[in-house]
Amino acid sequence: MALKAPRSFELTVPSRLEALEEVQRLVTEATREYQLSEDFSYWMELTICESMINAIRHGNQCDPSKNARLKISLNGSQIEIIVEDQGHGFNLNELADPTETKNLLKPSGRGILIIRSFMDEVDLTECEGGGSRLRMIKRIPGNSK
Amino acid sequence: MSVLLKTRRLDDIVILDLSGRITIGEGTLTVREALQELLRAGDRKFLVNLAGVDYIDSSGLGELVTLFTTIRHQADGQVKLLNLTKRIRDLLQITKLLTVFEAFDNETEALKSMRH
Repeated sequence: MALKAPRSFELTVPSRLEALEEVQRLVTEATREYQLSEDFSYWMELTICESMINAIRHGNQCDPSKNARLKISLNGSQIEIIVEDQGHGFNLNELADPTETKNLLKPSGRGILIIRSFMDEVDLTECEGGGSRLRMIKRIPGNSK
Repeated sequence: MSVLLKTRRLDDIVILDLSGRITIGEGTLTVREALQELLRAGDRKFLVNLAGVDYIDSSGLGELVTLFTTIRHQADGQVKLLNLTKRIRDLLQITKLLTVFEAFDNETEALKSMRH
């Protein structure tokens, strides 16, 4: 008998910050389905929301005619998260380091740092037809279920 | 639940008891408006009690930084943090904001440090 594949979760939202409530609900649903610990789920929600905020604000410039897409899936013991926008893209390596003294007191610019601190892999590529795709991988430690 | 903010006063120190979620949009706006009102009224010493905050995002951290940068050059201006949860402490560590803010686990000690 074939084992049932773990469920994937997908969401497409217009680029409005109000859409983050839907993102939170989807992440909660996914972390429950994958039976992740409360602490692990907290960091999942925080980093996924930060990546969707980037897609909505910086990628799509809060233009509600443009969409941000989220996909969360479980493959074995790792979670893959994909966030896509319809913006002009950016280079992860060209972002200012918010922990440098000259940037420490800036009010923004910490989202990617927080994402990178939790995720095991983070890479950004261009989508076919324009836009950016942020792919994140988080391996589930043994004590996080 | 979004953020809830209550204020207490001890002499010239405003203690801000925050609880709930400080996130981009409504959460940060509530905190920003309350702080701007206090600043307009002349308050300069703030002890931010984060004991009840169960979620803060990068925009929420940005509001704390903005408060710090707004008053740091003003005479007697102080912002200190109280009762960091482990998650918030971890976030402040990751972002190196623990090097910016002085944080306390004990309110009496915090208030004592702000009276000098």
